[in-house]
Amino acid sequence: MQESDYSRQTHHEFEAASRLAMANASLQHALGNLGQTLGRRNRDAFAAYPDSDAQRDRARQIKDATLAELDRHLETLEASIVGRGGHVHYADDGEAACRIALEIIQRRGAKHVVKSKSMTSEEIHLNHALEAAGVEVVETDFGEYIIQVAGHRPSHIVAPALHLRLHDITEILSRDAGRPLPAEAEGLAAYARERLRGAFAAAEVGITGANFAVAETGSIVLISNEGNARLTTSLPPVQIAIMGMEKVIPRLADLPVFLNVLARAATGQKLSIYTSVITGPRTADELDGPEEFHLIILDNGRSKILGGPLRESLFCIRCGACLNACPVYRSVGGHAYGGVYSGPIGAVLTPLYDGLAANRHLPHASSLCGACQAACPVRIAIPEMLITLREQLHHDPGSKGRLESLAYRMWAAVMGRPRLYGWATWLATRTVGRIVRQRWLRHLPGPLAGWTAARDFPSPAPRRFRDWWHEEQA
Amino acid sequence: MSRESFLARVRAAAAAGRAHRVFAADKPLPPIAPSRTAAADLVSRMAAEVDLVGGHSHVVPDAPAAARVLAELLDQTAATKALCWRDPLLERIGLTELLRQRGVQLLDYDALVREPVEARRPLILAAEIGISGAAWAVAESGSLAMASGPGRERLASLAPPLHVAVIEARQIVPDLFALFVHYEGGALPSNLTLITGPSKTGDIEMELTTGVHGPGEWHVVIIDGAST
Repeated sequence: MQESDYSRQTHHEFEAASRLAMANASLQHALGNLGQTLGRRNRDAFAAYPDSDAQRDRARQIKDATLAELDRHLETLEASIVGRGGHVHYADDGEAACRIALEIIQRRGAKHVVKSKSMTSEEIHLNHALEAAGVEVVETDFGEYIIQVAGHRPSHIVAPALHLRLHDITEILSRDAGRPLPAEAEGLAAYARERLRGAFAAAEVGITGANFAVAETGSIVLISNEGNARLTTSLPPVQIAIMGMEKVIPRLADLPVFLNVLARAATGQKLSIYTSVITGPRTADELDGPEEFHLIILDNGRSKILGGPLRESLFCIRCGACLNACPVYRSVGGHAYGGVYSGPIGAVLTPLYDGLAANRHLPHASSLCGACQAACPVRIAIPEMLITLREQLHHDPGSKGRLESLAYRMWAAVMGRPRLYGWATWLATRTVGRIVRQRWLRHLPGPLAGWTAARDFPSPAPRRFRDWWHEEQA
Repeated sequence: MSRESFLARVRAAAAAGRAHRVFAADKPLPPIAPSRTAAADLVSRMAAEVDLVGGHSHVVPDAPAAARVLAELLDQTAATKALCWRDPLLERIGLTELLRQRGVQLLDYDALVREPVEARRPLILAAEIGISGAAWAVAESGSLAMASGPGRERLASLAPPLHVAVIEARQIVPDLFALFVHYEGGALPSNLTLITGPSKTGDIEMELTTGVHGPGEWHVVIIDGAST
């Protein structure tokens, strides 16, 4: 794998990509402070919010109950949106969603699309589909714009350009501007503002994701700090929102619960700067806002997850808190995970969406320390889900070598027979335990060498516990 | 066609998934604790939170004092075009007169609706200051709730680099739960936006930069009749 491809490729081996990431000094610097910035802000914000435990429990329980009757809530959402003059489309997969979006755009004869940040649109590779049809798509979130110009994939759910440093971004945007830009954040942001104001002024269609959808009112909720999601839904005459079907919540009264935990989890803010509750197109006498409102509801593998043991992964509200909390993410960054979603939740979602066999390293890309679950605003049991995926990998005969299978069978045979176990431990203490006489083995031989490549193995004691016990009793 | 098969698939999956529910179906939701902000503290809490998120709060006793704050801001920015709401509170302050005295062009609903549709967007994007009221304010987070409608344009609080909102103390509710109660039962406008600070981004090395798309400067004038 070429290093230059690393931030662009969508599929690659986690281990090889991680090695590159660990050796990338610039990336390591970019990741270096994550635990002390976003990670700490998450903990401080929850600690400072007296009601946060009850609200997180409440959010979790609402998700659980909503998914149990998801079909009914989707039908309610559809009826509410149609009642407010909007349109609802159902897309079985990413291809269908792209086709629906393109049809809406082409029916308007539109050529210029502005987009606000949406992980769901990344998931279905929407930009690629639209550009292939000759439609100009401009990402308007500052971070997304930077990586769109650079041709990178987002490396973090809420901070897509996290892997880049100031000098990288200066170089990327200077090339875009055709003139050298100053290497300071204010000036670069000012350039992006001007450049993107031009795109907003010309845009005929605005595409957004949706953080939530409220079934009873027919509203979608968009959250941003920059205001680009608001411009995207105020200036162009058409809005297309694309949403994974699990994003629906039943009642307007449920919304404050999620708003209270989402921004605190993501950035430590009480609320993000802008939270828009959008209900249908503008009314006839309004001067701004879209005349035409479309919501595309996406399945793309979610219904398969919904009926199974990993259904809890659909509770995710895409805040990115588990990434900031994770020692593995903070070491390798988002691109190493290969999928659109990275970090602990990505290690669960990518195997589910993209296939377990093709992503067999991801369930193991965790020390199961539980920091992700502690940071999660809806307390998703990510470590448990990773263990479930490891179990599924274990039961898949194609996923491990014959030697490994044999080793596990022998291990099980010994552990299940007390006499055999006694003999094996006697042998270990009398050989390695008494002859090698080291507390830690630095190198194991043959196929076991992989274990000691990154850690030491405790050496057997010179005396078995059960021998010591008998002597003590005597 | 695809709608029916989509929903049928979701129905079957949701039913199968019930075996994996985390909570018992009849478990009551954990209760929401009532807000800890006392009614008497709403104005001071609101003002403090606005300042905390990087905005500027101005607590004034009456409409003439609010007019003086607005006049000062207009003079500081030397604005030539103001994108304004048509709002009874702004009328009471005498906004139209304030703008006329300073030769600032008033872009409000009545002015914009006279323009052809294609001319409105460039006019709106050229405004240097946005002046609005708000539907409600949320003390706990320092947020303004902006309900869209004719005369209450979304872009007034968004497109210009400076946004000033004028509210009255009685519009302040303690928290988000108290806010959304006002919109239950189908009363939502086409756009209800909560604003909690000036526009920000942290996309360059987590360094906070203001004003990347929305206003970089955000003022909230609170007319607190009780403070006189």
